[in-house]
Amino acid sequence: MMIVNYVASVFLVVLGLYTIVTKKNIIKIVIGTGIVDYGINLFIVSIGFNDGGTAPIFKMSEILSGAYFVDPVPQALTLTSIVIGACVDAMALSLCIKLYKQYKTVNADEIRRLHG
Amino acid sequence: MSYIHFPVLAVMLLFMGAFLTVVFGRHNQGVRVGICTVTSVGAFALIAALIKPVMLGGEVISYWMGNWSPVEGYAIGIGYEVDQLGLFFALLVVATVLLSAIYSIKYMENDSSLDFYYVLFQMLAGGVLGLVLTGDVFNMFIMIEIMTFSAVGLTAFRNHKWGAVEAAFKYLIIGSIGSSMVLFGVAILYAQCHTLNMAQLSSILSGNNSPATIMAFALMFTGLAVKAFIVPFHAPAADSYAAAPTSISMVFSGMVNKAGVYGMIRLVYIIFRAMDSSALQMLMVVFGCVTMFVGVTMALAQHDFKRLLAFHSISQIGYVITAAGLGTALGLTGGLFHAMNHTLFKGLLFLCAGAVLKQAGTTNLDQLGGLSKRMPKTTICFLVGAFSISGLPPFNGFASKWLIYQAAFAKAVESGKIIYAFVTVIAVIVSVMTLASFIKVTQAAFFGQLPARLNDVQEAPTLMLVPMWIMSILCVLSGIFYNVVDKYLLAPATDAAINVTNYIDTMMGGGYAAAAGVRNIAIAPAEFSYWNPILWLVLFIVVLAAAFIVMITGKSDRGEILCAETDVEDGKYATFFSGEHSLPSHVAGSDLFWGFKKDWKKYFHVIEGLHSGIVSDYALWAVAASAVIVIVMFGFMR
Repeated sequence: MMIVNYVASVFLVVLGLYTIVTKKNIIKIVIGTGIVDYGINLFIVSIGFNDGGTAPIFKMSEILSGAYFVDPVPQALTLTSIVIGACVDAMALSLCIKLYKQYKTVNADEIRRLHG
Repeated sequence: MSYIHFPVLAVMLLFMGAFLTVVFGRHNQGVRVGICTVTSVGAFALIAALIKPVMLGGEVISYWMGNWSPVEGYAIGIGYEVDQLGLFFALLVVATVLLSAIYSIKYMENDSSLDFYYVLFQMLAGGVLGLVLTGDVFNMFIMIEIMTFSAVGLTAFRNHKWGAVEAAFKYLIIGSIGSSMVLFGVAILYAQCHTLNMAQLSSILSGNNSPATIMAFALMFTGLAVKAFIVPFHAPAADSYAAAPTSISMVFSGMVNKAGVYGMIRLVYIIFRAMDSSALQMLMVVFGCVTMFVGVTMALAQHDFKRLLAFHSISQIGYVITAAGLGTALGLTGGLFHAMNHTLFKGLLFLCAGAVLKQAGTTNLDQLGGLSKRMPKTTICFLVGAFSISGLPPFNGFASKWLIYQAAFAKAVESGKIIYAFVTVIAVIVSVMTLASFIKVTQAAFFGQLPARLNDVQEAPTLMLVPMWIMSILCVLSGIFYNVVDKYLLAPATDAAINVTNYIDTMMGGGYAAAAGVRNIAIAPAEFSYWNPILWLVLFIVVLAAAFIVMITGKSDRGEILCAETDVEDGKYATFFSGEHSLPSHVAGSDLFWGFKKDWKKYFHVIEGLHSGIVSDYALWAVAASAVIVIVMFGFMR
């Protein structure tokens, strides 16, 4: 049932945004951005999936109207997006380490020297 | 026809430069500068060579990666497509990159780890250039991510300073919310249309909005608005522009937020062709006006030179969004002109701030003063930039702002909605406040008394002055010869945004657009009525000449100043006038507009409280604004 995937992906995105907005620990905020990414990845891979479809290896002449296969493009998109998501998390966590060294805290409420 | 390879080559050149810097430039500064110069000059030359066929010849260049051209009307490969709108922004990008590369040589000479700087710099340049040249929405998302990563890395480049790391973290979190929204929108679009090509999407989506595509539109609109840093997504921009090295601040305001503006224009005008929806027009105009106003009032409250410029940058982007949101050809022309002018004058102002930072060691306006005596050339460049951004004739800011005022009035007449006339009023008020704010900066940093500790400040090195001179000259020239700019750059770009038939046909094959029911609309050429910069220039010269004559014909012997006998040894019998011996009495930046700030105390209290500096607050604004955008789209765009 694809509908479960869609509901779950939207739930993950909303959960991620909720985490970013409400949590004050910067590590948890980074985890929130990760959850948003996973939700979107689940969504993308779901839109290309056909239950019982074959592998998408065809010549142009072999594609008939009855051909039933899994769309390969979303899989390529998901792979790219997973790589990018991992990079975002790695970079954000390295910035967290730097922030902790400078501010001696991981509380977002106290990391606000740039304001106003 | 060899020029069809130029766009891809330009992007590849910059990315290859980043790669080669990692391999060969680890230890030798000469190698790094050499690679960066070659790639930035090369990219500039490749893009400039496209002006003739694209801007003058009206050609649209399409390029399929690996020659995967469309099969039976379906685009299956990744395509690059350069139309006049894309080339217009690409020219801004390569010019900014070239000038910033020249400036960085001297400006960054005292920093360590410069190999990382040059790698990220060329990645950023390649990312933004790829973003404006690509014809594929997923490729656009990739380029947005490359751009955001390298921008965050460069913001945190001086990571021994706390401000840089904090700004980079906020930029990364808010930026990744924006990127995620773009990606979500792209995914929904793919699910609906089974293509990622912009030209094909444009022909499929014309007038066939389903709830899913409206959701996709709202999400992509929000994501690109985050990249353009319009209010309420602007808070990380102010932090990161101020914290990044100044050569990068210039790149940020010159092309990174322009990339977001470009994405929004491409999205609303070409991919969705939704600008005939009055709800969308109203939404963009409201967002633009709020951005203008909040940006400029926050700038008035700043004490740091670069942070103040950052808020002005946000405010000027508001003009561009407002003008583009009017949905008329005149408005779009004004918006594009202002985007170009903003690249020139804000880049110039940031470079001046960088020169002050490098030579005087601080950008705190309360500690600066009197620098015109020590840095006269920088002062002249700064004044040109300040006049341009405040919209004084005959500088370029006036020409584009005038077009925007005119477009808003024309829109009010045309649509019968009086609210568009108020847009002009807001734009003029914001312009006046911009001028006020720059009077404050000029007074606080360049005029007035020179503090004793700045006595041995030197003029900026020539290599830093060269980009500043170039930009000053361009500011004046594009203000005076606005007709030439309009004819060769703005008019083709506006036409490309409004009439997309050529764009679709070049990419997907002749007749594709007509088959999908896409028609061209004739647009009237933009008229710069009621204003002639040559007259203003003459007036300017006459006033200057009058002042000069008054000055030289005045009495040269002004009499002698009577003063007390001061050579008496113990001073006991000296005439006492008052006070103490000549204390410095410099009017610093915070003092000049205290009356205004006091009158608006409540407003400033609220608005400064909102910029709390807490990253979850900024994320809350972003999420709330995206919810508003989604609701407006669903409520009114059907």
